Amino acid sequence: MADDNYARDEEDFDEEEVDETSYRSVKDAILFAIDISSSMLTPRPSNDAKKPTEVSPASAAIRCAYHLMQQRIISNPHDMIGVLLYGTESSKFYDEDGKSRDDLSYPHCHLFTDLDVPSADEVKALRALADDEEEARKILKPSEERVSMANVLFCANQIFTSKAPNFLSRRLFIVTDEDNPHAESKSLRSASCVRAKDLYDLGVTINLFPISRPDHEFDTSRFYDDIIYKTAPSDGEAPAYLQPDTNTATAKGDGISLLNSLLSSINSRSVPRRSLFTNVPLELGPDFRISVNGYLLLKKQEPARSCYVWLGGETPQIAKGITTQSADDTGHVVEKSDIRKAYKFGGEQVTFTTEEQQALRNFGDPIIRIIGFKPLSALPIWANVKHPSFIYPSEEDYIGSARVFSALHQKLLKDQKLALVWFIPRKNATPCLAAMVAGEERVDENGVQKVPPGMWVIPLPFADDLRQNPEYARHAPADELVDAMRNVIGQLELPKKVYDAQKYPNPSLQWHYRILQALALDEDVPETPEDKTIPKFRQIDKRAGDYVMTWSELVDENAKRMFGGTAATKSTLVKRGPKDQAGDSGDPPSKRVKLESGTANLDDDVKRSFERGAVAKLTMPILKEFLTAHGRATAGKKADLVDRVEQFFEEKI
Amino acid sequence: MAQKEATIYIIDVGRSMGERRHGRSVTDLEWAMQYVWDKITTTVSTGRKTANVSVLALRSDETSNELQEHAENSNISILSKLGQVLMPDIRNLRDAIKPSNTNRGDAISAIVVAITMINEFTRTLKYKRKIVLVTNGTGPMNGDGREEIQKKIVGDGIELCILGADFDDPEYGVKEEDKDRHKAKNENLLREFAEGCEGTYGTLEEAIAELDTPRIKAVNPMPSFKGMLRLGDSQKYETAVQIPVERYPRTYVARPPSASSFVPVSKATQDEEGDPKPSQGDALTAVRVARTYQVDDPSAVGGKVDVERDDLAKGYEYGRTAVHISQIDENITRLDTFACLDLIGFINQDKYDRYLHISNTNIIIPERANDKASLALSSFIHALHLSSFYAVARMVTKENRAPMVVLLAPSINAGYECLVEVQLPYSEDVRSYQFPPLDKIITVSGKIITEHRNLPNQDLQEAMDNYVDSMELDHKDELGNDVLPIDESFSPLLHRIESAVRYRAVHPDNPILESPEKLTKFAHPDEELVKNSASFLDDLISKADVKKVPPKTKGRKRQRETEKPLSGLDVDALLNQEPKRANISPDNAIPEFKQMLSRAENIETIHGAVKQLCTIIESQIKNSLGDANYDRVMEGLGTLRDELVDYEEPALYNDFLRSLKSKILQEELGGDRRELWWLLRRSKIGLIDGKTSDRSEVSEEEAKEFLSAS
Repeated sequence: MADDNYARDEEDFDEEEVDETSYRSVKDAILFAIDISSSMLTPRPSNDAKKPTEVSPASAAIRCAYHLMQQRIISNPHDMIGVLLYGTESSKFYDEDGKSRDDLSYPHCHLFTDLDVPSADEVKALRALADDEEEARKILKPSEERVSMANVLFCANQIFTSKAPNFLSRRLFIVTDEDNPHAESKSLRSASCVRAKDLYDLGVTINLFPISRPDHEFDTSRFYDDIIYKTAPSDGEAPAYLQPDTNTATAKGDGISLLNSLLSSINSRSVPRRSLFTNVPLELGPDFRISVNGYLLLKKQEPARSCYVWLGGETPQIAKGITTQSADDTGHVVEKSDIRKAYKFGGEQVTFTTEEQQALRNFGDPIIRIIGFKPLSALPIWANVKHPSFIYPSEEDYIGSARVFSALHQKLLKDQKLALVWFIPRKNATPCLAAMVAGEERVDENGVQKVPPGMWVIPLPFADDLRQNPEYARHAPADELVDAMRNVIGQLELPKKVYDAQKYPNPSLQWHYRILQALALDEDVPETPEDKTIPKFRQIDKRAGDYVMTWSELVDENAKRMFGGTAATKSTLVKRGPKDQAGDSGDPPSKRVKLESGTANLDDDVKRSFERGAVAKLTMPILKEFLTAHGRATAGKKADLVDRVEQFFEEKI
Repeated sequence: MAQKEATIYIIDVGRSMGERRHGRSVTDLEWAMQYVWDKITTTVSTGRKTANVSVLALRSDETSNELQEHAENSNISILSKLGQVLMPDIRNLRDAIKPSNTNRGDAISAIVVAITMINEFTRTLKYKRKIVLVTNGTGPMNGDGREEIQKKIVGDGIELCILGADFDDPEYGVKEEDKDRHKAKNENLLREFAEGCEGTYGTLEEAIAELDTPRIKAVNPMPSFKGMLRLGDSQKYETAVQIPVERYPRTYVARPPSASSFVPVSKATQDEEGDPKPSQGDALTAVRVARTYQVDDPSAVGGKVDVERDDLAKGYEYGRTAVHISQIDENITRLDTFACLDLIGFINQDKYDRYLHISNTNIIIPERANDKASLALSSFIHALHLSSFYAVARMVTKENRAPMVVLLAPSINAGYECLVEVQLPYSEDVRSYQFPPLDKIITVSGKIITEHRNLPNQDLQEAMDNYVDSMELDHKDELGNDVLPIDESFSPLLHRIESAVRYRAVHPDNPILESPEKLTKFAHPDEELVKNSASFLDDLISKADVKKVPPKTKGRKRQRETEKPLSGLDVDALLNQEPKRANISPDNAIPEFKQMLSRAENIETIHGAVKQLCTIIESQIKNSLGDANYDRVMEGLGTLRDELVDYEEPALYNDFLRSLKSKILQEELGGDRRELWWLLRRSKIGLIDGKTSDRSEVSEEEAKEFLSAS
């Protein structure tokens, strides 16, 4: 029970981000356009004496593209990405498929990765380019002649038109250090503006990632302000007054910091903003509403489900499953409209018509209705059932929503209050009671926003969702014990005393895709996974070891005093380290206290049995306890448990 | 495991139960049955075989019980024996429970019959035994020998519950005026009887009112993890320490029962089996789900071929590359882990953002019956609490499960101590969508503005402050601490569906009932609160000056300003200088179409542009290899539709779509294009109806009809 991924299917149904109003498919396509000029290719030495690496802006950009490509395979497996190098000596467009079109040629545009869901080979090729291998040097050669930006933009236009038609989100990421490519030619400049307008009308958003040169600050007003528009028309969900973020810090400095700031800024825009619900009324009081949009900023990322692969062809192919529903009695295929929902009851089915079923689920139109306010302290730490939704005002239904939302936001922040709301996020969604909490804006060291300002709607559990706390015998600890533990805790604060999610990639998710990548690219499967969630044991020992020992001794002393020899104790509290086992002289003080109670030396007993080859003689409860204590599974027959115990010791040797 | 149960309902079905009293629309029996049916169906819905129920009719016309040889036990009949109640039993009971033609039959004797039945059924086994008597107290009652019966009830551990229609209950506030003396005497007798054997006695009105309060199913706590809370690595360092702990859910979403899919039994099957049983409603048959598999094959008709399930291997997608995994390597992508709860470090409580909780919560308590563990964990909890810290830990609940990063928060509450555990997001779980600040506006040039129509002025801020203060809720716990009304809020969907199913089982022909008010208690603010804050709200409304956008102007306007780049450059002027853009190029159709419209000075230009785009779309269909161009066609059609709605020329679109439909269906555009038509239906880009554009003469029904016809 208590599966941590419970009811994933049901949740998915509720949580999918959909666009209900558009004919467009909810997909995203990103095309990187990376300027390959000699200044972009000039390595910038890093000042860090320890790691004397040189990174050129172009290679930083390619690494970012590679990084994003890998990341999106995990997070957005159906979205497209492509890489267009421009200003190269070579030119490459759709040539291999024989469909060469003579009237369209794009000199000095090298489409390195075609816009598509990336394949394993493309990932590999881009990595080779990023690693600056031999082959790559041939491609990364700037042309003598200046490339026409109009051509670059129209080339991108054609790529989007043919490869990502009807996508809800299409974005062109331009990475360049040239802020005035056509300073000398007015006509080329005008042509660029026209082609930029074409892209705008096609619904393509241009995101510029400017890089300053060591001697020159990038100035968008010289060229790019004529190229970039406010939000694209297809991005109807963006708040009307949302300013385009051209004020993003330009990347500059030496190689590594350039790479990092570029990564940070690209990462922050890697996901197109998709809403969870749009223009839902936020009702502050009877007859007083404003409109808000909802977004999912936090959601557990699961690995994609396994699928079936057909191996009968030249290359493995994903087989698409098609589900047909048929009547059990006749085997005839049934229409969706004939299907009725029924509940099992008393050995039979109790049915409702579709209309009744809908009526039962209908608790009114989508709404976030404030029913009152409370101090934040009233929200218990345990009162949670799932991730929150983030809401931000929208002026689309009610003019003035933004200022009212802002006033409420400031009031809740100032007074540390929450709003209790009745929350129906979308049509036919199950209503719930939720706590609406104001969240402050957070920015990282590069000035890139990490957490946006807005409100968080935290669904609360119902009385039905609360579980009873099981009773157990409690023993009040003496002050000295608590103080000893406080000393331990004080030594082991995380940096800045905060939890930073960015520092903890999901180890099993990363491992899953790492293995898939190795299999897909026919590489050796790596041996050890990188797992940042494993505690820094050496540091813990070094920093807090002495305090832990003090606390541990006190626990033993107190326990002895409080419970005497009758203490119900099954397992040791403090473990022996390897030194003990090696029989080092100079017993650590802990050794004495550990030998107290009878069954306390479970580990030693089991180990001795192992050494004598007599694990099989141990009883089931001892085997189970030992395995549990070491995090091993305890299911199965005795022989399985014995195997597992033996394996445990064998691994250690 | 829930305990075995044996419950007997004694229902008074005497003639007098068929009467309506005190202005009620239902008879006493119908009223009583509201209670009994609710109880019985609640038991049925558990589906437990060990929940045994029996129904006895008191004051029935017939006599059929195990003690019927004694005269005092006449007019008592067993309607159903102790056992699990299933749907056929419910139907039988429903038909059998009717007011009788007699008023004879002794309630106390019925209790004796019930005791006998329970004893025979349960013998000396462990059971939860219960007898419920529902009556209007007007029949004959013989209290002789009641001490002995009471002693038996107590001795056998039977719980007795007596409910009566219009029984006086000063506590609940029911007092029947002009009560019949005989009834008053009976009420007295029953009350004394119930009280004498530790039973309950109450008035029916109260019992029925309580049915509206949703009942919460208690779940026995089951540990979801047993293991060690560890600090340090005991394999490597002697300073490592571990405390044996157990983990239990604190919150866990109770889900409504799930429905399965059925279809009505086909006529053919019914005929084969002869005359089907005329049971309630239509006979249903289960829906079977079959899966077939296809792969792309450009050489095949339709571009796809079926493949056998047996020829398929398990695999995953890596981008668009299919990676298959042989059976031996089945778990190759799984990260090997061992169960653990390892402390990573500690963070400041004040610096934790509560919205980072992304899961349900659990509690961590010491291993049970381990005093030393209890003492050790308690010192840890208190230390966290006093230092105002939370712990961050790595948790694996079972061998080879995925590790989670969890927050451990100390909880010391009314004598109960534990750690509250909740999952924290990984870096992949955080999406960085960016939003502008709410308390200032930053302009393109980087200037910071604090006075703007999107920011509240001081008046609005003050009005908001006052309103928020006036809407403070006063929920407090016993100690006067602020709390949220979680205990009084019930899952509306869960209880609504459960009660609807129970009601439908007994009353198959009645419409579903309205949702009880208790379920939506928090759907609206408290009336008193609203009244008290009304003046502040009025003030807020006037200061906020919020205006609803009329539905029609939501789209873009006809005379819109052309969009300009950030610099404000007039690109239109540049476009006009481009001579070649007189005709729309198929390669750049959408931008050029939009630009042609925006520069159009007369209706002819618009017509011309539309005509050109339509030709391009048709040729895209004609030249499409399979479905290759369909997405482009959709984009073209969608753009055409949107623009013509904006330019208030819906007829141009509708005419084109009608002709396109007929061309598709008559296969004039390069063969079978039905898949395209299906795509078009799904994408909601049918005819522009009057609701979308008031210039359209197409009604909503017409538009719907157009799409559904094929």
